Amino acid sequence: MEFLGNIGLGFSVALSFTNIFYCFLGALLGTFVGVIPGLGVLAAISMLFPLTFHLEPTTALIMLAGIWYGTTYGGSTASILLNLPGTPANAVTCLDGFPMARQGRGGVALFMTTVASFFGASFGIILLTLFTPVIAEYALRFGSAEYFALMLMGLVAASTISEGSAIKGLSMMVLGIIIGLIGMDSQTATARFTFGSLGLLEGVSLIALAMGVFGVAEIIMSVRRVKATDIDPDSVRLKAIKPTRDDVRRSWMPMLRGSTMGSFFGTLPGTGPSIAAFLSYAVEKRLSKTPERFGKGAIEGIMAPEAANNSADQTAFIPTLSLGVPGSATMALMLGALMIHGIAPGPTLISDEPELFWGLIMSFWVGNIILLILNIPLIGVWVRMLTIPYNLLYPSVLMFICIGAYTASFSPLNVWMVFAFGALGYAMRIFRFPGAPLLLGFVLGPLMEEHFRRAMLLGRGDFMTFFDRPISAVIMALTGLILLWSIWGSEGVRKRRTDRAPSAGTDHDPTEKASET
Amino acid sequence: MYRFDYTDLAGGMLLFLIGAGVSLVSVGNYPLGTLPRMGPGMFPAILGVVLAALGVSLAIQALRRTGSRPDVRFFSPLFVLGGVMAFALTIVPFGLIPAIVSIVVISSLAELRIRPVSLVLLCIALSLMAPLVFVVGLGLPIPLIRWPF
Repeated sequence: MEFLGNIGLGFSVALSFTNIFYCFLGALLGTFVGVIPGLGVLAAISMLFPLTFHLEPTTALIMLAGIWYGTTYGGSTASILLNLPGTPANAVTCLDGFPMARQGRGGVALFMTTVASFFGASFGIILLTLFTPVIAEYALRFGSAEYFALMLMGLVAASTISEGSAIKGLSMMVLGIIIGLIGMDSQTATARFTFGSLGLLEGVSLIALAMGVFGVAEIIMSVRRVKATDIDPDSVRLKAIKPTRDDVRRSWMPMLRGSTMGSFFGTLPGTGPSIAAFLSYAVEKRLSKTPERFGKGAIEGIMAPEAANNSADQTAFIPTLSLGVPGSATMALMLGALMIHGIAPGPTLISDEPELFWGLIMSFWVGNIILLILNIPLIGVWVRMLTIPYNLLYPSVLMFICIGAYTASFSPLNVWMVFAFGALGYAMRIFRFPGAPLLLGFVLGPLMEEHFRRAMLLGRGDFMTFFDRPISAVIMALTGLILLWSIWGSEGVRKRRTDRAPSAGTDHDPTEKASET
Repeated sequence: MYRFDYTDLAGGMLLFLIGAGVSLVSVGNYPLGTLPRMGPGMFPAILGVVLAALGVSLAIQALRRTGSRPDVRFFSPLFVLGGVMAFALTIVPFGLIPAIVSIVVISSLAELRIRPVSLVLLCIALSLMAPLVFVVGLGLPIPLIRWPF
């Protein structure tokens, strides 16, 4: 009965007028950002992040989460109609979605991917509801050694798995931790790396870092590259959205398999929706009796990845909410929003803040139903959004970023930090360093230091304390394996690649963009 | 096409310099403490060494493969970052609307092509929209226009 009571509590929070409104706002903005290429989910979240200062923490998270899963819905629209993936997670949907649109079945494809998205999301939400409290209860037994080990594993996995070069990912993670240490040391009140600036005592602003590294740097990269799209009105006119009986019959199993795979990869650090979508597409093609249909408008080829990326969007919240260990940069921003409101993430979150936890999860239902209803009738509007010229869009986004940074503390220092991190972000693009590990390291850095110091204090200065305790020893061993595997793997991949194509660094490997989710 | 991957070579050396710098500053300025009772300098000193080591290994790898020329632009970062800088300089002394106009005008130059009509319209539209959202909608106390002299 306690479970039902919690669900009821969640719905009572999620169905309040304010929360429905901000959920709607988030989902709408997410869809908008998802449709438009050159505007990533991280840029959108960091743009609206300053707003969360002025909202209740629950409402703030509901809105940010709405942006996150809304982009995945919106991204499929651009993939199908225009062969332009709005987000990396939708890239694989182009393969069969665009051929369907050219055969005049664009309406069917959009309708069916919306169904698949909703199915996948529902699958993910159910798992999230069932497993998060169980994991959190187990994690209550963890001490500082376990936490340090867990965070280290999360960071190492996220930095090495999805990126091209493990060393680059790891170095950005370390750099992120170092940036996170700037400011007053919480235990001794020593000012570190502030160089005399009083404003830096409070540390580097998460908003400025995210907006600079992801928002401003993305704009610098996209200026004069992204062009407004010419849309053939015929491809958008939806003749029929009703799927045939054959479509429906073919869609069930891919949807189910996609959701299962998506849920699994969503919980792991470093994988997330893009990888889930790619793998589920590959699985469908392998299992199909008629693999030659793939790439020519096979409905299985859009159902599985769209179910997978949406379920991964939802299950990504499992480690974030139950352990306080985010697996991706977006989840790190969610945790950041909690911490700004003084809520400590971790296994006690569910028992300390039941309204927040259950309200947030139940708002996912509200948001996904809003998206289900919004998506089909508004397709025309979304497509017209693509015709907004980038030369009008980017100065507006830049202005919102600056005002947002300024209003976070009413000090121009934050705007200067956006400037500095914009420059850093652009330099990172030139040197091809990934941004996600930097942000993850930044959010987890101070917590890691605290747990590291405490564990060393309890272990009397012996590093073996991380290997004496069984849970922490297992996690450390896993971290070691991930490290070895990724270093060995990336070396091998690079060798094979340079043998085949000499321009290894410049080819567009879709997994390279996976970090952006 | 170059003989070495100069991009990664430079990136690795930069990481080495940053890491070494962080370690030196930590060891020089903050108490290290002992392992059971770590001072504020210990953790960053360790991280700096790790970063420097990663930088060295990246640079060594870069010597073992060929590389391509990175796509570096000059005007895009100049005008986009210049716009942000102009906003930071104007927001306090002059208020919101001058800051909006300066960031929009300067960052628009990154297109390397001036469209006066659409630029003026964009400035007007954003100068109306931003105060509506932030000052009226969210009730934030930002002065719209100010004259410091």
